[in-house]
Amino acid sequence: MRLGFFLREALGSLRRNWVMTMAAVITVFISTVILGSVLVMGENLDRGATSLENRVMIEVFIKDDATPQEQKAFQQKVLAMSQVKEVNFVSKEEALDRFRETVGDYITKNLATNPLPASFEVYVKDADQVDAVAALFYDEPIVSHTPGTQDGVQYAAKTVRRMLRTIDLIRWGMWGATALFAAAAILLISTTVRLSIFARRREVEIMRLVGATNWFIRWPFVIEGFAAGLIGAIIGALSVYLVNWAVADWLKNSVDYLDAYVYPLWWQGDTWPLGLLPTLALLGGVLGAAGGLVALRRYLRT
Amino acid sequence: MIVFENVTKTYDPDVVGLQDFTCHIGKGEFVFLVGASGSGKSTLIKLVLKELEPTEGRILVAGRNLGTLPQRKVPLLRRNIGCVFQDFKLLPNKTVYENVAYALEVVGEPRRMIRRKVPEILNLVGLGEKTNSLPHEISGGEQQRVSVARAFVNHPPLLLADEPTGNIDPETAVGIMQLLVRINRTGTTVVIATHDREMVNRMRRRVLQLDAGRLVRDERRGSYDQTPDDLEEGV
Ligand SMILES: Nc1ncnc2c1ncn2[C@@H]1O[C@H](COP(=O)(O)OP(=O)(O)O)[C@@H](O)[C@H]1O
Ligand SMILES: [Mg+2]
Repeated sequence: MRLGFFLREALGSLRRNWVMTMAAVITVFISTVILGSVLVMGENLDRGATSLENRVMIEVFIKDDATPQEQKAFQQKVLAMSQVKEVNFVSKEEALDRFRETVGDYITKNLATNPLPASFEVYVKDADQVDAVAALFYDEPIVSHTPGTQDGVQYAAKTVRRMLRTIDLIRWGMWGATALFAAAAILLISTTVRLSIFARRREVEIMRLVGATNWFIRWPFVIEGFAAGLIGAIIGALSVYLVNWAVADWLKNSVDYLDAYVYPLWWQGDTWPLGLLPTLALLGGVLGAAGGLVALRRYLRT
Repeated sequence: MIVFENVTKTYDPDVVGLQDFTCHIGKGEFVFLVGASGSGKSTLIKLVLKELEPTEGRILVAGRNLGTLPQRKVPLLRRNIGCVFQDFKLLPNKTVYENVAYALEVVGEPRRMIRRKVPEILNLVGLGEKTNSLPHEISGGEQQRVSVARAFVNHPPLLLADEPTGNIDPETAVGIMQLLVRINRTGTTVVIATHDREMVNRMRRRVLQLDAGRLVRDERRGSYDQTPDDLEEGV
């Protein structure tokens, strides 16, 4: 392969056909912005869902007269359950501290005794299992119910599950939209390349007459497509990153309880996420090169 | 060099390109292919380049049967055939130098050799001064000389020209024809499709005349038209 020659050919014609080059670059840019946005939003939703799931916690209130041994035994038993991820003990004092933090000194100062019960915070592995796990605690002798109720075991299952279901729905919708956009992007790219090659079909015909093999004709086109795709994808990745970063920054400063995740631009050394730039640049390059190959096909048929 | 055996080429709806055509063109010959427009000259040239497949019959080029030549070998065939066309077929975005060099790049000629051979052949065709011009910046006659240079830079054993002087003025045409004769003297077989009557008459070379796809005349030292003289000679 005469790499130097092919590179010169490709760069020369990228410059000469700069209108087509621009069209290809913009096409890949749009496609990668769409895909990059999906990546960023998907990752944010994933993380949001995970953190919500992590917040699915069952509070189990303990009778004041339970002995430390009884507490210990209960904690061990819960921890041994296969559905349980983590158990934290919250003593009466800690409960009061937390209460003080939220309502202020004013009320708690005048209390003669600590009215708050100690509790266990039970985290389950799977948000879908909260009902089943909570049900196991109702009849435990150590649990403190108000007589006639089961208020010794509490969890915010309904709200959380509704939110999770919403996130799932959004995620599916997003994948659907991505598939649609990806199809549109491929169509757009192949049209662009086909136009550019149609304009140059005479050139291809002459090359064939002079005895160029199909690959001799293809390489410059493939390199051209790759280069245009790469440029479009790099601009796209940078744009997505900047917008992602700006939105996250704005959220951090204006909305307390919402944190957006900034998708890394570059590979972080672990396997996931791959980083916007490498992922999209590779994709853009391959897409561009494939576009060149596909569009050439009909002119290289013999 | 070229053998046609009962070759017929019909285009889709019964349009005849070539009809039961048989002829033999030997190594080193210089042959004119004459006939009215539409008589099948271009069809014949395209068949030799395997741009078209014959409907019937057999074609041999340099001893190879084109019918059994696989498509992937067609580029190889074409590298051994220099081509010159009425419309020059130069790559519009390449300079004179690059256009000629392309034929060498295609065969994988080393850069060093390209740098030597291209100026050499451009000087031969009298374009030493125009190496860096683009095709649209030079005259038709000059473009045709570039195209001849490209066709010959590989020193192919066979050179085909389809109306090489069709688009240029008569004086320039003489120059092109002289170039083709010089190329022929190096041993290259030259086949020229033309309806340039004066040129054919002046040169008195072998003439193949086509009419509606049929070979109607094959003379060793022919003129453009069939003359009583030729008939008397009984060729
Ligand atoms: N691609 C084609 N499709 C259909 N008919 C064609 C095609 N090319 C040539 N022909 C027909 O074949 C005949 C011979 O054409 P051609 O070989 O181009 O003649 P010439 O070069 O002598 O003018 C003509 O009748 C022409 O119309
Ligand atoms: Mg013709």
